[in-house]
Amino acid sequence: MSTARLTISMIAVALWLSASLAAHHGAAAFDVGKKVVLKGTVAGWIYSNPHCLLSLDVTGEDGKVVRWVAEGQAPNVVYPAGYRKDSFNFGDQVTITVEPVKNGRPMGRILAAVLADGTVLGVANSSGGPPQPAN
Amino acid sequence: MDRGVRLIPIAVLALTALSLAQAPPASNPSPGGWRTPDWNKPPVTAANRKPAPRRSLTGMWGPADGAGGGTQAQGIPLKPNNGKPENALPYTPYGLQLYKSHRALEGFDAVLPTEDNDPRNRCEPLGVPRSNHYNVRLTQIFQDDYKVLIAYEYDNRWRVIWTDGRQLPKVVDGGVDIGGEIREPRFFGYSVGRWLDDSTFQAETVGTMPDDRVWLDSTGRPISDKVHVTETFRRVDADTLTWSETIDDPKIYTQPVETMRMSMRLHDPRTDIQEYYCSPIEQENYNKLFGSGASSKGAP
Repeated sequence: MSTARLTISMIAVALWLSASLAAHHGAAAFDVGKKVVLKGTVAGWIYSNPHCLLSLDVTGEDGKVVRWVAEGQAPNVVYPAGYRKDSFNFGDQVTITVEPVKNGRPMGRILAAVLADGTVLGVANSSGGPPQPAN
Repeated sequence: MDRGVRLIPIAVLALTALSLAQAPPASNPSPGGWRTPDWNKPPVTAANRKPAPRRSLTGMWGPADGAGGGTQAQGIPLKPNNGKPENALPYTPYGLQLYKSHRALEGFDAVLPTEDNDPRNRCEPLGVPRSNHYNVRLTQIFQDDYKVLIAYEYDNRWRVIWTDGRQLPKVVDGGVDIGGEIREPRFFGYSVGRWLDDSTFQAETVGTMPDDRVWLDSTGRPISDKVHVTETFRRVDADTLTWSETIDDPKIYTQPVETMRMSMRLHDPRTDIQEYYCSPIEQENYNKLFGSGASSKGAP
């Protein structure tokens, strides 16, 4: 794939991610378009309505641990994207990409995740499937 | 950014691109015999198209655009609530006043979680027509000689459309008049239906709940107990159903509004559907762990 084509694909995916996040509640709380990558230790994973919730302990550059809470959509919505009840287990080292909330609290919604076993999952949103590559 | 969190936009894009390459199959078709939804069906083409059965809506149907095709987060699909003048609804003065009293989580004037007054977030039944405009996913339709039953995925709700020739009740203040007897309003109203031809079924619904109990869509657009809902289901072929809806609510809108024309795709009837409930306890837990914090005006 050429560099230009890869760039176009990435832009398309980023736009897709932004456009497709919605179901239980809207985007008013989120800093839409902003993305944060978090690497941390799983403190909890609630696979429940109305939203799945992941608690993640993230150690900052200052050595302080901050607990982030990131939401996905409901189980029936995130299941087709590969998220399962046992996708995150206590103590797992995982990396997630979130769209953070506007107010600066350590909260956001899950855009992508790399699980402890290396499995890569896409956006835990309402579209029901993993993002399709742009042709 | 503080908290030691690094913003790595390039890495985000790379991660996303990687997810394209490594994303798992959309579904396992039948783990342990419990078939999961298949949202990657091949398109219906001239080569694989099968004729529609005569006068049958029976089947498990999902939005043809995919699992999220019926989400309708921006409101009724033919008039998304995005602030564009062409999508403004023809409110009566009372309808506009009612709309402005609704604090919705969706739409261009959405409020923060926990600031809303959407009856859905208190786990109230959505009723008709909002059940047609909220996360329509796998929808089961059953029929016999007397009725059509629609089972929605959200909140495991179902409704009956009678096809045995009974008449649509007359709407009166406080409910409906059936044979001189006043009956109560219902979340899913009173529905009757008939076949217009061998592939087209029309359903009419009246007698729904009053204005303070139900909304039209997730953006806070109102509906009243005077609404007359007309739905048309057309079996285009064996695998495709189009579901259209028009509302006529003179108390809220000055003219009828066509709300949706949704194409539905037939799914395997053995598909297991995950529960998608509104549970007050789970809602409370969610607000405690996330909603309230996300809604606060500043960092702690």
